[in-house]
Amino acid sequence: MVQEREPSAGGFRARRRGQGELEAQVLAVLREAPGPATAGWVQERLEGGLAYTTVVTILSRLHAKNAVSRTRSGRSYRWLAASDAAGLAALRMRRVLDSEADRDAVLASFVSALLPDDEPLLRTLLDSASEGPGRTAGGPSAGDRPADREG
Amino acid sequence: MGVSVFLFLPLVLPLTALPISRLAEQHLHPRSATRLLTGFGLAMAGCSMLCLGLLGVLGTAQIPGNPLPDSWSDPEVRDIVPFHVEVGAGAIAMLVVVLAAVVRTLVRQVRVGTRARRAVAHVPYGEGPAVLPDDRPYAYALPGTPGRIVVSTGMLEHLAEDERAALLAHEQAHLTHRHHRYRLATRLAACVNPFLRPLHRAVAYGTERWADEEAAGAVGDRLATARAVARAALVTHRAAVPGLAAFADPSPGPVPRRVAALLGPVPSGRAWPPALSPAGPAAMLAAAGTAASALSALNAATALLLILKAATPL
Repeated sequence: MVQEREPSAGGFRARRRGQGELEAQVLAVLREAPGPATAGWVQERLEGGLAYTTVVTILSRLHAKNAVSRTRSGRSYRWLAASDAAGLAALRMRRVLDSEADRDAVLASFVSALLPDDEPLLRTLLDSASEGPGRTAGGPSAGDRPADREG
Repeated sequence: MGVSVFLFLPLVLPLTALPISRLAEQHLHPRSATRLLTGFGLAMAGCSMLCLGLLGVLGTAQIPGNPLPDSWSDPEVRDIVPFHVEVGAGAIAMLVVVLAAVVRTLVRQVRVGTRARRAVAHVPYGEGPAVLPDDRPYAYALPGTPGRIVVSTGMLEHLAEDERAALLAHEQAHLTHRHHRYRLATRLAACVNPFLRPLHRAVAYGTERWADEEAAGAVGDRLATARAVARAALVTHRAAVPGLAAFADPSPGPVPRRVAALLGPVPSGRAWPPALSPAGPAAMLAAAGTAASALSALNAATALLLILKAATPL
């Protein structure tokens, strides 16, 4: 009887391992997924035979930490590791931008296209803006590269 | 005869859009300019549509098999409203073209918006914008409920800390003030009457300036905002496609004008320019043009209705 109840036994063993370790494992499995994956898919690939509900609990906890994203599909969710989510979104966004010829008419872009004479004028303006208070590098700031890729 | 003048006037009056939009851009706060020009454009476009419709109805009343009452093609009525079949058919053809352009623009807007939103749907909301790992520099505000800001790492890494804040504040202002509605409204107006195209460009520029001012206020640093715009444009380095738009725009393009405006003083927040400034007469002209357009369209419509009512035996 007891041996047959694999899931709860797995859940018990799982609890003995650290929660952080489990979350890292789930995240690692999710990163290997080709796209948004179901909790069942993650469960199958996890070592240690965790219970389905345990996997879902871990995924939910990861979601609360913004480490994974989820979309509803039918009655359950599909999950995606967040860093992958950003990468996937970048690819999709690029596809949208490439396929829409006059996307700037539809999407509000931060800067519109430059006219031929604009560039030197802009450099002059930028210099006068940078001369003001404080120091600012003349060219593109080579210094602090932001590490703020959203998690 | 009077009817014909009133019918064509609203189709031609939008020609005033070019000088009006230029004056509004130079002399009004971008917020007021955007609102004023959008209202002006919508009124003009509405009148244009009404007049096209009336011309179509009048001109084709004689063609057998049209759904209008037979008495409308009565010779007596035709004498009062002298319109030719060609004019009517032309008006109807134009109306069809206009409606097709409006529908196409709307479909396009929805499609691109949906695709872009779907692209970032999986990125968790968390705090702030969706930062996408992409070397190509770009930043967009995607309207919706709630709207989203999309920035590439390629854009962020070229900006200093305060410039990044300015960029995000700029995009947030687009979302908060629903700038996409003004842009779409004038885009559709330009579909209805091509004379209104300068107005759309002016409104697109106005929303950018408006967002720039909001960003400068939020960050509390006009210089940083100006630097953000200039640097982003230089990094993006996208040359304009030489075409009509480039011709019609005044010689420094929109981006240098934005930077120059940010380097200048804060624009005054007047909603209506004082009568003595150069913008005063322009605003008056815009108001007068809109009123004249609306009045003549209404005048033509009521005159026709009265004539046709008298001609229709009930």
